[in-house]
Order: sequence, then C-alpha cells, then structure tokens
Amino acid sequence: MSLRKQTPSDFLKQIIGRPVVVKLNSGVDYRGVLACLDGYMNIALEQTEEYVNGQLKNKYGDAFIRGNNAYLFFSFQYCI
Amino acid sequence: MADDVDQQQTTNTVEEPLDLIRLSLDERIYVKMRNDRELRGRLHAYDQHLNMILGDVEETVTTIEIDEEAYDEIYKSTKWNIPMLFVRGDGVVLVAPPLRVG
Repeated sequence: MSLRKQTPSDFLKQIIGRPVVVKLNSGVDYRGVLACLDGYMNIALEQTEEYVNGQLKNKYGDAFIRGNNAYLFFSFQYCI
Repeated sequence: MADDVDQQQTTNTVEEPLDLIRLSLDERIYVKMRNDRELRGRLHAYDQHLNMILGDVEETVTTIEIDEEAYDEIYKSTKWNIPMLFVRGDGVVLVAPPLRVG
C-alpha cells in the first residue's frame, strides 16, 4: 500500500459508484449509491433511503442533495 | 484521417449533479426544504445555487406538537397550493422525482 497525499476530494472521487451514507446538518441520514458530486459537494444519489430515527421514506432514482447541508460521508466499502 | 476525438461534448462522461437536475426540467419534482417544508411542483428553471422557479406547487409544512398528557407526538401537516413560486436556493435540502406511493 503506497502512501500518497490524498485530499478529501480524492476520497470523494474514489467512492463514486459505491454505497454511501450522507449525514446532513439536520441529522437526517441518506443512504444510497453515489452517482456523482461536484466542487460544492452537491450530491446525486441513486436508490436513496432517508432515515430520521427510523426509516421514513424511500426514494428511487436520483436524489440531489445540496452540498452545504451535507457534513459527513462514509462509505461501507472503503477502497484504497 | 478522421479524428475520433469528439471535439464538442455537450455532456461529459462524468455528469455533475446539476446536469442531472437539468434532466428534470419541466417535470414534476419533490423538493425538501429547511424548517420541515416540502414542495411538489413543476420545475421551470434552476441555477447553480438551486434557486428554482416552480409552477403549480403544493407546499407542505409539517409541525410536531407534543401532547404532554398523552406523551404523544402529533404530526400536523399544512398544505397549500401556489401557482408560481421562486424558491431561494439556500433553503433547499434535497431534490428528487416525486415520491411514488407503493
């Protein structure tokens, strides 16, 4: 495993196509497959599920999340 | 020799989330906003701030009242219709195709 300087942006490019959890400032969780994102951290997710305490709504297809509301991404499958 | 490289690419291989919103233009969409508000309307225009022009909109405001005697949470929704609406982008949390009940 080579150690390279990686910025958070590089991490975000790597997890495109992988299942992620996006946490918003409001505490709502969105779980889906990361379709794409941009420099403002606007996010497009596929097959998204919304979790507030318990499961609330299912969104199929694309869900767009405005970047300023997202504060955390984590990926279930971390790739190096 | 024919040049195989596309010189004009209207869409790149990696599309931005905003490009995908463009595909929803003139379609009905669902918008989740801050302060427990939801909008369902037809997307006429948008910009990079997610300012939007929505037509034929139904806005839903959800409030939670706590009944202290019964220790219940009462979810109240207020809905009203607006023919044409400008939405300021900083209030937008999420944009999606309308939820399909099923």
